[in-house]
Parts: sequence; structure tokens; C-alpha cells
Amino acid sequence: MPYLGGEEALRELRRALANPHVQADRLRYRAAVLRVIRMPGIQEYLQQPLLSGLRDKASYVRRAAVLGCAKMLKLQGDCEVDGALVNELYSLLRDRDPIVVVNCLRALEEILKKEGGVVINKPIAHHLLNRMADLDQWGKSEVLTFLLRYRPRSEEELFDILNLLDGYLKSSSPSVVMAATKLFLVLAKEYPHVQADVLVRVKGPLLSACTSESRELCFTALCHVRQILGSLPGHFSSHYKKFFCSYSEPHYIKCQKMEVLCELVNDENVQQVLEELKGYCTDVSVELAQGAIFAIGNIARTYTEQCVGLLTELLGLQQEHITSAVVQAFRDLVWLCPQCTDAVCRALPGCEDAIQDSEGKQALIWLLGAHGEKVPNAPYVLEDFVENVKSEMFQAVKMELLTALVRLFLSRPAECQDMLGRLLHYCIEEEMDMAVRDRGLFYYRLLQSGVEVVKRVLCSPKSDPSLGLLEDQTERPVNTWASEFNTLAPVYGRERWALITAHQPVEPSYACSPCTDSRNRDTESLISEGNKEVLKVHPDTGSLTLIPDVYLTAEQFEKTWLSLDMSCHLSLPWCGTVHPDTIQTALHVVHIQTIAMSKAGVQPWKAYLSAQDDTGCLFLTELLLEAADPEMQVSVKQSEAKPEALQAFISVLRTVMGAAAGLGS
Amino acid sequence: MGRAVYGGGSPPFLTPPTAPQPLISRNYKGDVGLGEIEHFMGLLLQREEEGALAPLLTHGKVHFLWIKHANLYLVATTKKNSNASLVYSFLYKVVEVFCEYFKELEEESIRDNFVIVYELLDELMDFGFPQTTDSKILQEYITQESNKLETGKSRVPTTVTNAVSWRSEGIKYKKNEVFIDVIESVNLLVSANGSVLLSEVVGTIKLKVFLSGMPELRLGLNDRVLFELTGRGKNKSVELEDVKFHQCVRLSRFDNDRTISFIPPDGDFELMSYRLNTQPLIWIESVIEKFSHSRVEIMVKAKGQFKKQSVANGVEIAVPVPSDADSPKFKTSVGSARYLPERNVVIWTIKSFPGGKEHLMRAHFGLPSVEKEEEEGRPPISVCFEIPYFTVSGIQVRYMKIIEKSGYQALPWVRYITQSGDYQLRTS
Repeated sequence: MPYLGGEEALRELRRALANPHVQADRLRYRAAVLRVIRMPGIQEYLQQPLLSGLRDKASYVRRAAVLGCAKMLKLQGDCEVDGALVNELYSLLRDRDPIVVVNCLRALEEILKKEGGVVINKPIAHHLLNRMADLDQWGKSEVLTFLLRYRPRSEEELFDILNLLDGYLKSSSPSVVMAATKLFLVLAKEYPHVQADVLVRVKGPLLSACTSESRELCFTALCHVRQILGSLPGHFSSHYKKFFCSYSEPHYIKCQKMEVLCELVNDENVQQVLEELKGYCTDVSVELAQGAIFAIGNIARTYTEQCVGLLTELLGLQQEHITSAVVQAFRDLVWLCPQCTDAVCRALPGCEDAIQDSEGKQALIWLLGAHGEKVPNAPYVLEDFVENVKSEMFQAVKMELLTALVRLFLSRPAECQDMLGRLLHYCIEEEMDMAVRDRGLFYYRLLQSGVEVVKRVLCSPKSDPSLGLLEDQTERPVNTWASEFNTLAPVYGRERWALITAHQPVEPSYACSPCTDSRNRDTESLISEGNKEVLKVHPDTGSLTLIPDVYLTAEQFEKTWLSLDMSCHLSLPWCGTVHPDTIQTALHVVHIQTIAMSKAGVQPWKAYLSAQDDTGCLFLTELLLEAADPEMQVSVKQSEAKPEALQAFISVLRTVMGAAAGLGS
Repeated sequence: MGRAVYGGGSPPFLTPPTAPQPLISRNYKGDVGLGEIEHFMGLLLQREEEGALAPLLTHGKVHFLWIKHANLYLVATTKKNSNASLVYSFLYKVVEVFCEYFKELEEESIRDNFVIVYELLDELMDFGFPQTTDSKILQEYITQESNKLETGKSRVPTTVTNAVSWRSEGIKYKKNEVFIDVIESVNLLVSANGSVLLSEVVGTIKLKVFLSGMPELRLGLNDRVLFELTGRGKNKSVELEDVKFHQCVRLSRFDNDRTISFIPPDGDFELMSYRLNTQPLIWIESVIEKFSHSRVEIMVKAKGQFKKQSVANGVEIAVPVPSDADSPKFKTSVGSARYLPERNVVIWTIKSFPGGKEHLMRAHFGLPSVEKEEEEGRPPISVCFEIPYFTVSGIQVRYMKIIEKSGYQALPWVRYITQSGDYQLRTS
């Protein structure tokens, strides 16, 4: 009976469900719960059958009924969660049927979303551990994820759990392997040697996932390998051949593999890795070829001489896209490794003929400007660009040309003076692009004020080796990423994930395990000591002094929020609509920073606030206003357990919100 | 996987560019809007054009995790920060189940079976969570005559209530038999200068079980660790790496005493897999000389580097040729060669290739005097073959014990085969 739409069908269905003997027809019952539950007007007839379904003899009815409860509550939305139902579901965790057990966890998680999801206490955790063997791969992965929430009481218990779960690190299902790895890493966060050992043990399964027949699983595994390499650069070095690309692989896998190769390169394999990458540089796919060239450019930061030699060799091919990528790689390289400047400068002559694209031209012009004194024909190459500037299509190239020529003029004035004059004349008199014209005018006036001034402005350092060190700060501790292992974050990559999540409000996801205990947290203050001016916020607050103009980024907030336990939860009376601007201003007055706030009229309305007192204690707050709820839910987390300060903070918050409510309505 | 698997989880199927509307979709949880999927195809094409395609795309807050099968895209959508490998595994499972139901999964088979497809989607996943995904069990109660479900009198599927979730009770066969296939597939990657980059064997032991009741099976292999445990010397034993088992195998017993014991599912399944490194079995040397505007000369030498007693069957060596080549001429020391212009390869077929032998093929192609503009890739030489009665690893099934409470006698049959997997040799 899937997807009936007609009135008549609905009536028929109601009649069927109202029948007290509906249980006799289990399959029909199940179909109703599975499929029609979302139809309007049917829910009230479902409540009773659902509850009796939980106690049905047939496990497939119980499975459907358990999830049916979660569906029903989701549909009803604002309704109060029934304690008896929750208890019943908790007791069903002991069900004989493995899928019922997992469904119970899933349903409870959904139903108790607001309270932080299903609670995994010691008996439940141990029960789940004992049932692991019966579960299918989906159940195993999910239970392993739920167990992240459990914190063993003692070291002994911790190691017992790890021993029990050891087999799952070698499971035949990649999702179970990943989930088990994450659980190990998170549980053993205080035992770096255990973490290291785990990563050694999953090497085999991960490598076989990397050569999996399923491209997507292979891709996911490669992304996770990169994550691990970030902390343990040598981890896969002896298996570098596994990351060589095969002809028929899709582009995204080849790119990931090249990234991996860049990261695992070491003294022993560098020769072979470079040989392999060199092969990709001449691939027909332009993206792949350029990717390989940039990869070699990356490796050049460590193995400069070999790589520069190789890249120079590639210039000999006189291929447009290859030369362009090589020159770009050179530009980035001399900035980080000044020792290779001479070799790069020797390779440059002749490149100008092969480069057509904007990026490549910019890189070449920059190199000629910055290091022109080492390239004999630099002025003549730039002169060609000046001659053709009228037909130049890219604005960025013209800007780069201006800067480069002025720079070169400083080191080789005789050869450059004439053409610099011509270029400036063109830019000021004929150029239609205002940015280029302004840049021309700027240099013109700068030159008028004398060579010394120009030198002061333009002769900045030509390299910055320390930047390379900063960027290559690879050995990040495992604990910095353990909690995002096996999520979408590593699959997107760090930067893209940050971009994707940047515009979303901070979601206090309880699924991630709290990483640090609030009491042993580093006492270092998250907020830099900026403004020392302090202000007594409220006469009643006694000891509490909030520091003004502290600034916490959304990421810092989220991280801290997740790492802390709830200190206090309260409801404030609220009626009418919310005026975010008013509230934000009011909060600002008492030095509470607004991290994120929903727009007016959004349901449910949420806001995230942070404040810090003069002892460095942070107060993180979530405001939540559900549709038509007469009360605003306030949750406060505190970085140090100071009940007095907390009381004071809450009273401030109460006062401000009271005032804002008054102003708003 | 956090709070929920596929937040809005729906694996809808859609046909490529012609139809932006999904062919079929199922919204399990309702937190991703039905319209979101309409962004998918455009996003995919856009990324493809940019050369930045990945199996994970995003539009606003919605993540699309997709796989492609034949001419269909299977897409799971979610807003949650889900577990990617689980989602992909599930999508592949869906493909597997559909293939077992409809033989082939393509647009047509979906269109012809809408009702059953929706029923399967409902059984596979509920509220965004995977449920029963074993096609054997599904086949017990979702049958091709789909109205059976709705009669109300239909039998309760026992498997869904069993303690052993992968096997039903009350299975009966007149003749009790087990077929064991030991299949080793060889993956090879050789660089253009002839150095071996990768050469490994992925072994699988597949079972076809026709046994009544609830039999208890025990499989004995010449496993080196087991031989060492029991003090039986190392020779004739093999060392297996990266061993993985079907969920029916009792892992604790394997860990304790290396015994592989299990209650098998009915019918076909993969009992275990392993891998090990090896030497290349068929070695290829090639010289491809291209004289621009006139001709291509190809010389390929193939050598069987396996035991003399064994014979590789159905050997097919595919050698790439330029796409504008014409007038092929071949000379082979054994077998036959033919030109497949649609794939731009010469296929050299050798029906039977004994170990230790060496064979030669020469090919000659003309090239047009006007050269093609675009550059071509350098596809590798690939090889297909099959060596029956032979395993690279030397793995042997020493015994298969079958115990059932009714005490019937059952026969195990064993077959060994080695075949080519991803077997590629790059050309310069």
C-alpha cells in the first residue's frame, strides 16, 4: 500500500489502524508504520498501535515501531517527550534482535536531541560491547560511533574495551574500520603510544581500502590517509608504490594520490616518487599534468636541487601548460627556498614564448621583476610585454608588469628607463582599466619623489624561508583531528570544510565526544589580552567583571563549546517576536559578545554568546526560542567551575534579556 | 556517524544530463527538501567542466554523496556531518541488491519495476538508517510478484526474527553440497621502464552452500600461523596478510586458535579475503615505435612466469595504438591478433599459454600523413588471463567439516583458479 493519496484510501487505512486486531496483520501494520506515517491526519490513529508494536513478538514489527516512535515525535514537533516511552526504548536496548537494539539507539538519539541525545552509561556501554558481534556492518559502525560518548571510569576498563574492539580494526567493511579507528583514537587520547599503535594496525585495512574497487571508498580512504600523514609523516612511506596512479582512475583519485605522495616522500623513496610524478607531468589531462608539477614544486621545499633540475627539464618540452605551471612552481619556491634562486634564474630565459595564460605570465613577470638582476635578458623579455601591453587581456598581468618593471628599474636603470616611461605613459593616458591606471599613477608619483623613496617602498625581502616552516607545520597532534576522523571534514579537506561550515550557525553537535575535561583544561586564556580597560557591569554582580572587546572566533567558540559540560540551564519568560539588533546591542553594553544569531522571525530562533571575566573564565551561552514557546531556553557553559561567578553571570544575562524584551515589544 | 545517518537521506536515481528530474527518489527523513536534488546534476556537470569533480558535492547546507552505476547516478543527500564510507558502502549495497533482483541495474530495469524498487528502498532503509540489506533475506519476503506482501495472509519471514540473522531456519535440500571457489586475482602495475610498481594477489574464498538446516562448518587451510601453532613445520603452508571474514565467521575463535568456524548463509557468499605480494605471472616486453606521418611498429613479447604444469587460458593482451592508425598487419608466433578501432587497441588472443613459454607478436600500422591536432594519452598494455587449478599463494583447502544435528553427509567441492585483476604495464 505504498503512497496512497486518495481520501478514500486514507479512510480505509484509518479504519484498519483503528481495528484493535491490527496487530494480527503484522505486515500490514508494518507497512503502515513504515510508509504512511507522514500522511497528515493519520498520526493520532498510530500512537496506540506504535506503542503496542514495541512489544510485538515479531522483531521486524518492533524494528519498525521503534523508529516509528521517533518519526511520530518528529512530526509532532513541539510536543513534550513522554518519559515512559523513553524508558521503554531504553529497556528495548536489551532486545534479542540486533537491529532493534541499534534502532533504539537511533530513535532515542533523535527523540532526546535537545537533551544531548541518548545517554551511554556504563551498563549500556558494556551491553553494547557484548552485542557488537551480532550486528551487521551498519549497526557496528553506528554503535562504535555512539560509544564515542562513553568515558571509561578507569584505565583498566579502557583497555578492556580496546581489547574487545580490536578485531573491528580489521573488519572487512571499511566503514567499520573507520569507525573503530576513530573510537580508539578518541578513547586513547591520553595514551599517544596506543594511538600510534592503532594507526599502525589499521595501516593494512586502510591501504586495501585505498585500492578498493569502489572509487568513492578509495577516495574516502585516501583522504583519511592524508589526515594521518599530517600527524605521522613517515607512516606510509614504505608503501609509497600503492599510491601510484593507474591509467583508468578518475581525476579526483589521482589528485589525492599525488597529494599523498607529496606528504610521504622521504630520503629513501624521493627518487622513485619524483620519477613517477615526472611521468604524470606529461599526461594529456592538463589539470593532472599541472597538478603533478605543483606536487613536484611542493617536494622541492625539501629536496630542492633534484626537483629544480626536474622542473627545468620539463621546460624543454615547450608545452604551454607545462611551462606555465613550472614557472608558477618556481615563483612559489624561490619565495620559500632562496637558495635555489640562481638555478631558477638560469632556467627562465625562453619561457616567455610558451606562456599564454594569466597565472603563468604573472609568475614569470614577478620572477623577472624580483630577480631580474640575475637574468641577463630580463629587460628584453619585459620589453616584449610592454610592447604588447595594448593587446594584453588580463588586468592582473598589467598590474604585475608595472610593479616588476619599476623593481627592475631600480636594479638595472639604464636598460629599463625608456620602456618604463613608455609603460607609464600608456597606463596613464590610454589604459581603460581604472585599477591599472591608478597603479600607473601611483608609481609615477612615487618615482617623482625620488629613487630612495621608491626603494624604501618596493625593496621588500625577496624571500621568506620561515613561511615554508609555518606552512609545513605538519606534525599536528593526533588529538587535533581525532574527533573529526570518519566524518565529511577530512573528505572535503580542511580548508573546504571550514569554508562550507563557516556560514552555518554553530551547531552544538553532541555526537562529537567532548575532547577535554573542563577541569584539566589548559588554563590558557582563549582570548588574547587586548584591552585592559574593565568595567563594572552591574551593581549586583559583586565579584563578576566582564572584559570588554574580547573577541572569540566562531571556530574557537565551537571547539570550546563542545569541550565543555553544561553548567547551567534555565528558561527566561519571553513573549512576542525577537529583535536581534536590540538584543545584540544590549548584550554589547554589558560586554557579552554575540558569536552568531538567527535573523528575526527564524524558527527556532538561536543565538550564541560568549563573555570572559577578569580571571580568564569563559562563559559560553546558547539562547533558543522555539516557535510559540513562551519561554526562551538558555544554556550556559563555563570554562572553569566557579559557581559564584556563574550565578553572577546569569543574573547579568537575566537583566539584559529582560531589558531587551521590554524594549523590543 | 553522529546523530543520524542520512539526515535527509534519499538515494534517488537519476538519468544523466537529459533528465534533471530524478528517475526515482525516496525521502527517508524529511530534513532535506525534495527540490534539493535538482541542483545535483548541474553541480556535477559544472564540476566536471572545471576538472574538480569529486564523489562529494555540496549545495548550500546539503551534501551530495554519489556513485555512478551504468547510466545511473545514485545520490544520497544529507545535512549532517555523516560518515562518508558508510554512505558509500550503503549505496554500493543498494546497487548489489538491485542487481540481484533485476540482473542488471539500469534505467530500464528501474522503470519496469517501480513498485518493487520502492518496496526495496523501504526495506533497505528506514528513517535514514540502514535496515535489512541482505538480499537473500529480502528475497524471502519481497518477491517479484509484489502484491504478495499485501495479502495479509503472507507468511512471516522467519529470518527477520532469527538469532542468526543471515540464515533462515527450515532450509531443505535433497542433496547437501558445498562448493568452494578459491579465486586469486593478480593486480600488476609496471612502469614504462620495466620496474614493477605493484604486484599483489587478492585472494577470495567464495562458497556456494546447498545445505539443509543449521549446519556448523569448519574450514581448514594450510595457514602458516596455524601450522606453527600446531608444530607442523613451515613448508607447504602460506602466510596470509590482511585477512578479512564474512560476518558469519566467529572471529574470537580465529584469533584464539586460527579455526575458521561458521554457520553459513544459504547460497553464494564470500567467506574470506586476503592479500599477498607476488611476482608477475605473465611478463610483457613491448616496443612501440611511432614514425610520424608514416607508420607504427609494435613488437610485444609475452612470457609465462608460472609453473610449467599450469596453463593460462583465454589470454588476451590489449596493446594500445594511435587512434588514427590504419591498415593493420599482424604476425604472431601463437594465437591470433585483431584490431579493435573503437577501442584503439590490438588484442592478441592466446587460447592456451603454458608456464615457462615465450611468445611474440608483431604489428604494423599505417599513419596518415596529416597528423591529428590533439594529443593522446598513453594507455597501458593490459592483460586478461585465467589459470585454473592453480593459486599463486599455494593456499589449499585441507578440509571442510560439516556438522548438522540431523547428521546428514554433505560433500564439499573445491576449485582453484587464478585470474588477472587490474593487470597493467605502462608504455612509453
